[in-house]
Order: sequence, then structure tokens, then C-alpha cells
Amino acid sequence: MKIALAGNPNSGKTTLFNAITGKIEHVGNWPGVTVEKKEGLVKATLNPGSRKMTIVDLPGAYSMSPFTNEESITRDFVQKESPEVIINIVDATNLSRSLFFTSQLMELGIPVVVALNKSDLIQKKEILVDTDLLSEELGCPVISTVSTKSSNNGLGSLVEAVQEVSMKKRNQQPLRVKGAKANATKEEMEQIDRNRFALVNDIVARVERRKIDSSNHTFQDRMDKVVAHKWLGIPIFAAIIWLVFSFSQSWVGPWLADILVGWIDSFYGFVEGIMGDTVSPVLSSLLLDGIIGGVGAVVGFLPLIMVLFFMLALLEDSGYMARVALVMDRFFKKIGLSGKSIIPMIVSTGCAIPGIMATRTIKNERQRRTTAMLAPFMPCGAKLPIIALFASVFFGENAWVGTSMYFLAIVVIVLSGLIIRKITGDTSSSYFIMELPEYRFPSIKRAIVSMLSRAKAFIIKAGTIILICNAIVQILQTFNWQFQVVGQSAPDTSILASLATPLAWVFIPLGFGIWQFAAAAITGFIAKENVVGTLAVTFAVTNFIDIEELALVAGSTDVMTVFGIGAVAGLSYLVFNLFTPPCFAAIGSMNSEMESPKWLWGAIGFQLGMGYVLSFLVYQLGTLFTTGTVGAGFLGGLIAITAMVGYVVFLMNRNAGKVLNPAVEEVA
Amino acid sequence: MNITRCELHTEYLIDSILASEEDMKEFLFTLGCYPGERIILISRLASIYIINIKNARYSIDKDLAEAICLRGPTERPSTGLMGKVV
Repeated sequence: MKIALAGNPNSGKTTLFNAITGKIEHVGNWPGVTVEKKEGLVKATLNPGSRKMTIVDLPGAYSMSPFTNEESITRDFVQKESPEVIINIVDATNLSRSLFFTSQLMELGIPVVVALNKSDLIQKKEILVDTDLLSEELGCPVISTVSTKSSNNGLGSLVEAVQEVSMKKRNQQPLRVKGAKANATKEEMEQIDRNRFALVNDIVARVERRKIDSSNHTFQDRMDKVVAHKWLGIPIFAAIIWLVFSFSQSWVGPWLADILVGWIDSFYGFVEGIMGDTVSPVLSSLLLDGIIGGVGAVVGFLPLIMVLFFMLALLEDSGYMARVALVMDRFFKKIGLSGKSIIPMIVSTGCAIPGIMATRTIKNERQRRTTAMLAPFMPCGAKLPIIALFASVFFGENAWVGTSMYFLAIVVIVLSGLIIRKITGDTSSSYFIMELPEYRFPSIKRAIVSMLSRAKAFIIKAGTIILICNAIVQILQTFNWQFQVVGQSAPDTSILASLATPLAWVFIPLGFGIWQFAAAAITGFIAKENVVGTLAVTFAVTNFIDIEELALVAGSTDVMTVFGIGAVAGLSYLVFNLFTPPCFAAIGSMNSEMESPKWLWGAIGFQLGMGYVLSFLVYQLGTLFTTGTVGAGFLGGLIAITAMVGYVVFLMNRNAGKVLNPAVEEVA
Repeated sequence: MNITRCELHTEYLIDSILASEEDMKEFLFTLGCYPGERIILISRLASIYIINIKNARYSIDKDLAEAICLRGPTERPSTGLMGKVV
């Protein structure tokens, strides 16, 4: 039996889905978190019958006429895949809008069960809803639910009601909307929808009593006045991000990482002890240095990532993230985007793939593609180990490195947006409207669940892709082209070194023209965590995190000596890895959301160029300021970036003459 | 008059919607924002207006605020509310 979950955005569909199925899909306190349908089976504890019940979680929609891409998924599903029952989630605090969609769903001829969600909030707001009367008025079961609670949440009754209506073959009668008919013209449709709203108002007037009118100036508004203030908004946002990075990278994260790395080291010693001298050195080195060392170096950063995800989950749950969109809207307006583009970028702080998918909520095609192209610039969870590593090796594990990378990303995004708007010649702007979620005290439990699910994904990735990559890197650096073991004295003759050296030449103007760094940047395209793993393997550093002192890196200066580059080049390498194209999986996601090879290749080229130019500027200007002279390879690099910048300027000017007719040129 | 120039916390009736994008009009309709419906401006932030339609809060930008034309106010604001107007 297939059951669809449909309802308005941010009514709590995915939270209810998770509670019913026991799955851990991503939730957040803002509209538009879910952008594709997700399936799951109803938990055995809730489903006493023998019949399997599949629940399909759908993106939120306000009506059956879709406004954006993700809304059409919902309409298409309920119309074409004919689920047996629809659970319509209705935000109990907002009946007068939600029931509009309910009345449309009831016209499909599929039994509807209304889940009156957020029932706990109506008590707090002193709203009274007569659910029995509502059920009578609608002609379908209405069950009060609180999907955020783990017990006594009404979900058992909800599942029972669903089973009951599916047994009864008698069809529910749709609401009698005046003038409703199939094949109505557009004008007729509008009149019908007006009547529909009138009908809904009528029902709401009968079933609901409100003591507090939600138009009053509340605590919510006072909060908004502060956090979305014209001048205070950005500093507050910066302070919050700094706190997040401080907890993750300076305070709590490293302390936990120490404990974990202690275990990894013991495991290394344990495996080393078991193998003894009986195993061939090549094999033991592959297992110890390649696999345990490489994967361990990455996994050692897991606590930092978990703390970051925990903090981000708290922020998402609180409703603050939606306010960031308000703060940033006016800057994004200047570059032809809107506050809507902020949400995908915030989501990208966890992982760029869902971030890129979140662009579906953007209606304008150019804005959607531009956002998909720029969202991966945000430092995702996989880039965090790189940031943590370089921050600690070169900058004494300061939280400002992570924070400044975060804000550098925003600056780069704004700048890039401006360039892309010029290149496309599309100067259109579109309206911004977003439903404001309410602030609430974030749930520690939900944050822990979200953190653990992301940690699990990270560990799985470390145990598969990253393990394989590290093993391959170890093999490639162990042998030369004649398949002889490369001696300790001549690591530069290995297959890996000979493959990466030509590329290292390109990186000389950026300050890291060393083959190990080149190899790590390349493996980083497979997964960004690989950068740390490959550096660990190629420089033969088993762990980057000290166990004696509560510091991130064993004698920072030691690793710095091993790396053979200075702080300026270190920062340059960090910038290069953060602002070049994302991992292949994210590029694949860009491809499917952009739906244009021209845009995709343009985006990859742009991202490569951006990484190179930024990195060049960081290294050469940094060297100039610290030593008084420019760094190595300045002239060659200057020629390269002049060519890149020149080409972009050419593209920007090419459209200057035909701005009046942007529709002609699809995209440059 | 449009939203950018109306009083805070005062109920107005929507007179017309002059959105240049036709589907934005349709979208607003599904939220219950169409001529004849009630609307309240809750606050003005940096470049954003927070409005209340049918007990839900939305943030809209200046362009959209200018596109929503109002009639009213439907009731005289009480002095208590006026005091809160910043």
C-alpha cells in the first residue's frame, strides 16, 4: 500500500516521515528543505497489520498548481502514481491557508487523512481547534499529531486512520466548492479558487478560536528586528559562524579528536604487532601507512566534523537560517540573485549535493543555474578536514581561518554572481517571497540524530572511496613504472610522482609546486577528504593530531617542515582546494540541475579559474607583504591569470551591446 | 498605496496586485493574497517587509511590496498599536 505525504512547506512532513518510518532524512526549520520524493516503510511498531505500508514524503506545495520545480514533483506524484491514501499534513496554527490545498487534494478521488500537525503549538498560542467538527466539515478523518515528540504524538492513531480509510471502499466526498468543474477556463478557475478560499474561511470560522492574533508584535518580531537588522545582521551572522567554527575547531572538536586519534594509533600499533616481520614490507606498508594511516588521518577529523554538524543542526532547527536569507537578500539582489539563493548555499555548508538540489526552489532559470554553480564554493563538511589541517599546521588552530574561509566564500560568490550576470547579459530580477518559520528552542535530540547520521555517512565514505583512493595512492607511490619498489631515497621516481610532477609545474606560481600537493589536489576531486588522506600517505605522516597535548597537530612546525612550504603557500593551497570545482559527485549533481552542458562546462572552467586566480593572489601578495619580493613563478602565473581574466572580461563585454534582448542569448 | 508606504500593524484590504510576472500573481493567490483579502504589515527590515496573510508570515522584498496595492485601513489603529510603530 502506497501512501503519499503532502502538505504546505514547513508543515513538518519530513519530521513526520522520519517519525513514522524511523529514517533520518534531513529536516530543517524553513520551507523547502525537501526537494525530491523519498520513500520508506512504516515502522513495525506502528503497523500491526501484515500489509506493508510505503510512505512517500513529497516536497511541500501550497496548491495543485506548481510554482517551482519541486512543487511539480508533488503534483505529478499524487496525480500520476495514484497513491492509495494521501496523508495531508496541515499546520494546525495555520488552517486558513492550509485547507486550501486540502480541498484540492480531496477532489482527486483518493482518500485523504488530515494530520493536524504542530498540535502542541496551538495550545501555546491559545488557539482552539475543534478537530471533531473539522473532521465532520471536511468529511475525512482528522488526527492531531506532534511529529517532533517521540511518544504520545498521535502517529499510531494516524496510521490506524489510514488503514481504516483504505479498507472502506466508499469514496470520500470532495468539499462542495461553488462552480467547481473539470476543464474550467483560466478565468473560471480563478473564480473557483476564490470560492474555495471562501469555503475554507467558512470552515475555519466554525472550527477555530484564536486568542492571540498572530499579526501582533511578538517576541518573534523583536528577534527579527535584531538578527535581520540592516547593520547588525551581518556582524551577528559572522559572530555565530565564528562560534560554530570555534566549537568545532578550537574548543570541543580537537579535544575529542585527541581521544579518537589515540585509539587509531593503538589500532595501528595493534595491527603492526599482529603482522610482525612475517608480512612483506610492501604489503605491511600498504596496510599500515596507506590504509590505516591515510584513512586514519581523515577519520581523525571526524569529531570536528561532528561538532560542526551538531552546531549547524541547532542553527537550522532554531529558525535562524531563514533570517540569514533576509540579511543577504539585498546583497544578492545586486548580483541578480535573491534571498532564495541563500538557502542552497547554507545547505552546501553540510554537503554541496543537497545544496545544489535545493536550487530547485528557484524559479528563474538563470538564477537557478548560477546558484548551482556558486553553492559549491561554500566550505562543505568534506572540506573541513583540509581547513582544520592547514589552520592548525600554519595558524595555530585558530577559528578565524575557518570563519574567514566561510566569509571569503560569500565574497567570492557575490563577485562571481556579478561576473556571471554580466556574461549572460541577463539583467532581469525576480521577486523574493519566503514564508518565515517561527523561532523555536532547538532540539538537542534532533541535532544529535542529524549529527550521527552525517557521521555515519562520513565513516562509510572513509571506509570505501577514501580507503580505496589511499590504497591506490600508496601503491602508485611504492612502485616505479618498471614495477620495482621505489627506495626511501628516491621517492620522486614513483609512478605517482611522475604523474603528478608535470602538474606541480602549474602550481609553482601558487607556491606549492610539489608533486605531493598536486597529487592530493587531484584525488580531492574524487572526494575532498582525500586531500588530507593523500597528504598523509605521500608525506608519510601517520596522524595529524597530537595525542600528548591537546593540540591538533603533532608539533605543528614538524609537519610544516615535512610539507616544505610556508604559511603563505599553505593558505594558498587551502584556498585552491576550497575554490576549485567540487568533488565529482557534486559536479554530477550540477549537471542534472543545470540541464545544459554549456552551463556545466562553463561552471567547471569558471571554478578552476577562480581557484587558480585566488590562490595566485593569496600566495604572491602574501609573499610580497611578508618578504618584500614576489614569490616563485610570478611572471608565468601572471601571464596565465591575465589570460583567464582577459577571457572573462571579453565574455562580459560581448553582451554589453545586446543587453536589450537577453532572451536571444541563452547563456554565454 | 502599496505595502512600502502603509502603517505597521494595521489591517488593509488588498486592492490589486501589479506583479510583472503572471505566475507570481498566481502563486500569491494560493497563499490567499489576492484582491479583497486582508493583509497586515508586521515589520520593515533592511530591504525586507514582513507581512501577515491568513495568519502566516512571509518575508517579501521591496519590489514585491511595491506590487501589492492596498485599500483601507479597514479599522482605525488603536493608540496602543500606534505607540509601537517605530
